[in-house]
Amino acid sequence: MSEEKYADYVEAVQKECPDADAKEIAEAFAKYEQEFYIPPQDAMRSVLRRFQSGTSPAPATGGTSTRETKKVAGLSELTGNDRDVEIEVAIVTHNIRDQMIRGEEKQIAFGMLEDNPWEENGQRTRWDYKDWGPHANLTSGSIVRIEGASVNEYNGKMSLNINQSTRIVVLKEGVATQVASNDPIDIEAIPKEGYICVVGRVLASRPDQIHRKDGSGSIDVVRGRIADDTGTIGFLSWEPFEHEVGALLKIDGAQVRSFRDTPELNFGRTTRIEVFHDTNFADLETLAQSTKTSISGLRDGSRDVDAVVQITEIAKRTFERDGEEKFLWSGQIADPTGRCRISIWDALPFAESDLPVTLEVRGARVRAWQGIPDITVDKAEQLTVLESPPWDESMDLTNHSVEVPLTEVVAGPSRVGMKTGGMLVSVREDSGFILRCTECRRVLRDGACFDHGANEGIEDIRLRMVMDNDGVTAAVLVNKDATLRALELSGDDMKAKVEELGDLGFVQLVRERMLGRQVAVSGRSIVDEQGAMILADGFEIEQHDAQMRASELRAQWGWA
Amino acid sequence: MERARIARQPAHLLLASEFGSATLNEKGSGEYDPSFVITKLGAKVNRIVAAGLLERLELRETSNGSSLYQGQLRDPTGLHYFSIGEYNSEMMQELAHQWTERLNDGEPLLVMMTSKTRWYQTDEGAVYTSLRPEEACVVNREVYANWLLDACQATMSRMNQFTSSLEVEPTLDAYARADLPTSLLAARNHYGEVDLEPFKLNLMQALDIAEGRIEAATTAPPVMSLPDEPEASSEAGQDVQAFLLQAIGHLDQGEGVTFDTLLKNAVARGFVREVAEAKLEEMLDGGTLEEPRFGWFRLAANE
Repeated sequence: MSEEKYADYVEAVQKECPDADAKEIAEAFAKYEQEFYIPPQDAMRSVLRRFQSGTSPAPATGGTSTRETKKVAGLSELTGNDRDVEIEVAIVTHNIRDQMIRGEEKQIAFGMLEDNPWEENGQRTRWDYKDWGPHANLTSGSIVRIEGASVNEYNGKMSLNINQSTRIVVLKEGVATQVASNDPIDIEAIPKEGYICVVGRVLASRPDQIHRKDGSGSIDVVRGRIADDTGTIGFLSWEPFEHEVGALLKIDGAQVRSFRDTPELNFGRTTRIEVFHDTNFADLETLAQSTKTSISGLRDGSRDVDAVVQITEIAKRTFERDGEEKFLWSGQIADPTGRCRISIWDALPFAESDLPVTLEVRGARVRAWQGIPDITVDKAEQLTVLESPPWDESMDLTNHSVEVPLTEVVAGPSRVGMKTGGMLVSVREDSGFILRCTECRRVLRDGACFDHGANEGIEDIRLRMVMDNDGVTAAVLVNKDATLRALELSGDDMKAKVEELGDLGFVQLVRERMLGRQVAVSGRSIVDEQGAMILADGFEIEQHDAQMRASELRAQWGWA
Repeated sequence: MERARIARQPAHLLLASEFGSATLNEKGSGEYDPSFVITKLGAKVNRIVAAGLLERLELRETSNGSSLYQGQLRDPTGLHYFSIGEYNSEMMQELAHQWTERLNDGEPLLVMMTSKTRWYQTDEGAVYTSLRPEEACVVNREVYANWLLDACQATMSRMNQFTSSLEVEPTLDAYARADLPTSLLAARNHYGEVDLEPFKLNLMQALDIAEGRIEAATTAPPVMSLPDEPEASSEAGQDVQAFLLQAIGHLDQGEGVTFDTLLKNAVARGFVREVAEAKLEEMLDGGTLEEPRFGWFRLAANE
């Protein structure tokens, strides 16, 4: 058998045992396959062990402990009740933090580990762990045998507790090649959580204090913002941070935490910050210019937001607080990427009659209500009226729907004025006529509102459905008008249909017309931890000529 | 508004051959974690939208006295097996009842169904996939043809992903960097070498059908099932053994034929599954067949 056939496996073995001869390794794989019908992925571990013997500590057998030790090869073999567990794992990440435990400040370590550490291309299960030791010999990148750990199960999520009495045997030293952490990533690509490395220029930095909730004092911190040419992100440094605005830094091991939907970098003791030299890196002025956000990029919880938007509607709302009359301007704004709301807590720098008005907004905060971003402006100085919008002036933004693929809709944020498509995969049984609470419009269940109790309700029509596309899913609620248009029925026709077929019969009728069809919906989307929901005021079943489509695909795939 | 505690799993579009040939599953450690079937092309599916001709639907009494509808759905690439039981919605059970009657009346039904995927393994180790429809409806040819094309496109993009994965180092990291799903890595590890040619032939045939070129589409299905022989199967005299031998001869592309495929084909020809299973066992013991890999059968080499 040729060595080529096993090239990947041979390479993997050689990574662990650089001295081993490629030919010999390939022969070993061939032997397993030919004589025992063991495919190379299954033989990997045995082959590895053979070539490794002598270079690493032999696996301890017997053990000194008298307790019932549960030895497992994979995390999936463990249950939430397992106590004295022995397993070999790869330590993926390792972080140290201080934690108050019974009034005492203690260091603990935490991170992620993976089972099946020897098999280069095997399937690995990843768990979180906490090391209460903490053990000095536990480092990221190492492969260790953990003896005497216990399993913790919380909300269905399993993790491993490494206790003070747990023994850690290092089987392979951690080569500090944390690929993920040493390769700087674009700011735009920063995940919602995790440890990352970035290169960015400091846009802002100011000292701040965080007051402990228990009143035991305050912590000095530094808040600020860094940018690269893909975006900006706020940071919070728990350690002294003396780099000035404009400094270009490489920040390794920063922790990303998210406040609402906005990720923020946290710099701590293990974060390495060094001055970085790159003459091609965008300068401060350019970065400050390019940090303008479009509406589709607004995230709940963002601060220091700059944007150019068009105000399409505005209304003054007055209210009383502490006996004093206050007001705010509340309105709708749009740009070519979408629509959302604005709240201005000051006098307007333009007349209401001038609408639509294009404004440059600086340093605003973003809050979200029902998932729709609301740009909050505290002072009129943050606003500058522009003569004309930077986009095509003839664009009518008041009715503008931005087409967004469902995958992007689902990834958030919530949007107003969007349009998307996918396959209709479910028509829920509570589609059709519904009763809404006379007080709050909530749908009545068995004639009663959750908040306002039993009432006769107001009749409404809606369809509650699910659409999927490309591996993502969204709930779709279609309002009355769009429902009737889609079904080509009047309200009276529909009433007659429901009387004829019954509620479920009517739902089945909707399924016969829509299930498995490609549909286009427009309206607004709400994206939160529960998933994505589209409130549709437009709904259409797409019509395609299958014959044409087939010919197009044939051409596209070169099968003409 | 009521909200699901566990996120809804999206539905994928799969042709029967891809789903039916899947033997890998994945389930999280939590009690309510969804379970998935992972196909040869790396699709990881908990729910699919399937469509095709309703070929069979029968009411069965199960051992515990409840009733269960069992059926099969044929698309151009093969068969989906599904069951509708008392765990289903009233609507779905009512639909099953109606369809059974319509089918018994000889009415052809082209149906579309959103279904949960099921996976089970027999004590002997054979793996079967099946469907549990949640919602279904009767569709017309045009809707079916469009669904077929959607499914073809989805399959094609998985095939492309599969092809590009051949160039990628088989590690989670490398797959993540190449933007390939981890389920594809699991599929590659589990299934070993996968021949894309049968999938491609399936797609070509499906395109022919969607285009209305039914004549061109009526060639023998490549791997998963035998060509329809109008007369042969109706002859009562043909016994299981002859059929199995013929099927293996026909379907073996070098590495044998899976247990699953053989039994599916046998059942499709009207043989009783248990009888076919017992026969396979017997031929294996008798040396007519050999099992080079667990669950794969081929004709014993004549020495």
